[in-house]
Amino acid sequence: MPQAVVCVKPIPDPKEWDRLSLDPETGVLKRAGISTVINPLDKNALEAALQLKDRFGWTVTVVSMAPPDTQKTLREALAMGADKVLMASDRALGGAATLATAYTLAALVRKAGDADMVFCGNMSLDGSTNQVVPQLAEFLGLPHASHVVGVETEDGSTFRVTVDLKDALLTLQHSGPMVLGLTKEANDPRLVSVMGIISAQSKPLEVFSAQDLDLDPEKIGQKGSPTIVSGLFMPEIKRRREILSGEPEEVVDRLIDGLREMGVL
Amino acid sequence: MANVSDYSGFWVFAEQINGKIADVGRELLGKARELADSKGVEAAAVVVGDLTEDEVKELISYGADKVYLLSHPNLKLYSSLTYTRLLEDLVNKEKPEAFLFGAGPLGADLAPRVAARLNTGLSAHCVDLKLNEEGGLDQVVPGFGGSLMATIVCPNHRPQMATVMPGAMKMPEPKEREGEVVRVDVGEVPSPSPEIVEFKPKERSAVALDGADVVIAGGWGIGSEENWKLLEELAEVLGGAVGATRPAIDEGWAPEDVMIGQSGKTVHPKLYIGAGISGVMHHVVGIQDSEVIVAINKDPKAQIFEVCDFGIVGDATKVLPVLISKLKEKLGE
Ligand SMILES: Cc1cc2nc3c(=O)[nH]c(=O)nc-3n(C[C@H](O)[C@H](O)[C@H](O)COP(=O)(O)OP(=O)(O)OC[C@H]3O[C@@H](n4cnc5c(N)ncnc54)[C@H](O)[C@@H]3O)c2cc1C
Ligand SMILES: Nc1ncnc2c1ncn2[C@@H]1O[C@H](COP(=O)(O)O)[C@@H](O)[C@H]1O
Repeated sequence: MPQAVVCVKPIPDPKEWDRLSLDPETGVLKRAGISTVINPLDKNALEAALQLKDRFGWTVTVVSMAPPDTQKTLREALAMGADKVLMASDRALGGAATLATAYTLAALVRKAGDADMVFCGNMSLDGSTNQVVPQLAEFLGLPHASHVVGVETEDGSTFRVTVDLKDALLTLQHSGPMVLGLTKEANDPRLVSVMGIISAQSKPLEVFSAQDLDLDPEKIGQKGSPTIVSGLFMPEIKRRREILSGEPEEVVDRLIDGLREMGVL
Repeated sequence: MANVSDYSGFWVFAEQINGKIADVGRELLGKARELADSKGVEAAAVVVGDLTEDEVKELISYGADKVYLLSHPNLKLYSSLTYTRLLEDLVNKEKPEAFLFGAGPLGADLAPRVAARLNTGLSAHCVDLKLNEEGGLDQVVPGFGGSLMATIVCPNHRPQMATVMPGAMKMPEPKEREGEVVRVDVGEVPSPSPEIVEFKPKERSAVALDGADVVIAGGWGIGSEENWKLLEELAEVLGGAVGATRPAIDEGWAPEDVMIGQSGKTVHPKLYIGAGISGVMHHVVGIQDSEVIVAINKDPKAQIFEVCDFGIVGDATKVLPVLISKLKEKLGE
C-alpha cells in the first residue's frame, strides 16, 4: 500500500498564550500547566492524507518530534483516522532550531518506510517560521512546495499541486513523493467521531529516542542548531500613555479632544 | 562549520515574479548597504530569472555594489530545486557573510532550503538587523510569548541568513551610484521539476492598508463577525483601512492579507486605533511607526497600554458605537 506521512506538531494552546512568559534571566519559556493542541494547519495536512486513504487505501503515518507528555494530543490524529504515530522524544532533542528539527523529522520519515507523499502544515503557530517544510524536503532529497492551497489527483499517483505565490497561482504536476506544506485553503479537516476516539486507543504509537533513530548527536537539539538566542530586551517605546477610564461617553469626548490636540483628526 | 573570517559582504536575494523585481529586494538593499558601510565591505543583490542587465541595474541605485545576474529562459519561473542549486554554488564561490531574503511566498519557500543545503542558520521574519560587537549580525525578533524582543545570532556558521517581511524595512531613496552587473554563468539549466503546468498571475487589488493614513485594527477581543462590522464602520467614518491580529484572522473575521505585525504588514498611519488587542510584540512591531496609537481594551493590565498614546479601558463593543456616532457628529461640524 502506498503510504502518506504527515508531520504533526503539538503546540501550546494559543488560547492560553497569555499565560506563557519568558524568564527574562534565563530566556527559557515558562509553559507549565498549559495544555497542548495539534497545530491547526497540521489538521489540513492530515485531512489531505486521509482523503488518499479513503479513496485509494493509503496508509497514513503521523510523525512528530515532541515531549512524551504530548501523546494524548497525538492520539487525536489517530482518532481522526491516521493508522499509527511515530514520535521522537528525547531530552537531547530539546532546543532544536528548524535545521535540527527537520533533520530529526527526516529520520522519522525514513523510519516510517517508503513515503509516497509527505504532508505538513505550512507553518506552526508557535514557531511560525515556515522553514521546516523546505528543510525536511532537503534532508529527504525530495522536491517540496509550501503555501499549498490545493492538492488534486485522479489516480493517486500523479498529483497536481497549487501554490499561492500571492501575486500568482502556480500549479505543479508531479508523480512521485514530495513534501507539501498545506494552508487552510487546501481543505476542511474532518471532525473526530466517537468511533474514531475508541479505535484510536488500540492503534500503535511508538516512541523513539535519538539513539533509536541513529541520529548524529552533532546535528540534533541545541548542538545541531546554528542559531542561538543571545539576548532578550524590552524595546524602548516612548508614548504619551494617557489612560482613560469611565463612561464611554466621557472617555470618547476626551479621546476626540486629545486626537485634535495632536493634530490627527 | 565554516571558517567565519573567509566570508565578507552583505547579500540580498532580490526576487522577481513574472520578470518584475519585488519591492522587498529594494527595501533589504537599503539595510544591506547600511550594514556593509559600517563594516567597510560590499553589498550585493542576487537576481535569478530571465532578465537582461538593463532590467536589473536599477538595483545599484538602491545600494548594490554588485548585482549578480543569473539569467536563463528556464529560470523565468521559480523552481526551488534549481534556484537552490544555483544559490548554493554562488555562495560557496563568493562567500558572503550574510544573505537576506524577503519573506514573501517565494523567499520564504527558497531561503530555508538554501540554508539547509549550506548547513547554516536562518532566522524568520526579522524586524531589525544590526551589527554586534563581534561584527556578527544581530537578528531581532519578538521572543516567544511576545512580551520581550529576542536577539538571534549565528556565531559559527556562514552565511548568516534571515528573512524579512515585505514592508518591515524602509525603502531607501535611489541614488546615483557606482556599481556593476555581474553575469553569472549558469550553464545548462533544466526546465523546472516538478513540472510547472500553470502560472496564473493574480489580479491583485491593492490592499488599502498599505498606504492608509488611518488604520483601525481589531483583535480576538472583538468577539464576533457581527462586532467586526463596527471596525469597518469606524474605518469608513475616518477614511481608513481595517487591519487585524492573527487570532482575528484565524476566526475568519478578516482576510489573511490584512494581518499586522511580525509575520504580516508594517503600517505607518497618522492614526492607529487598536481594539480588543492584547498588544504582544508580534503585533506591536508592525504599528510602532504610527504617529498616534490609540488602544481600546477591557483589561487595564493589557500590554498594549504600555505602548499607546491614548488608552481607553473598556468594552470595545460599547466604546466603538459611541466613538462612531460622536465622530460622525463632530467631523460633520
Ligand atoms: C512567531 C510568531 C509570529 C507572530 N506574528 C504575528 C503577527 O504578525 N501579527 C499578529 O497579530 N500576531 C502574530 N502572532 C500572534 C501573537 O503572538 C498574538 O497571539 C496575537 O497578536 C494576539 O492577538 P490578539 O491581541 O487579537 O488576541 P489576544 O491576545 O487573545 O487578546 C485579546 C485582547 O482583547 C481584550 N478583550 C477581550 N474582550 C474585549 C472587549 N469586549 N473589549 C475590549 N477588549 C477586549 C482582552 O483583554 C485581550 O487583551 C505571532 C506569534 C508568533 C509565535
Ligand atoms: N516538532 C515537530 N514535529 C512534527 N512536525 C513538525 C514539527 N515542527 C514542525 N513540524 C511540521 O512542519 C510544519 C511547519 O512548521 P514551521 O516551519 O515551524 O512553521 C508544521 O506545520 C508541521 O507539519
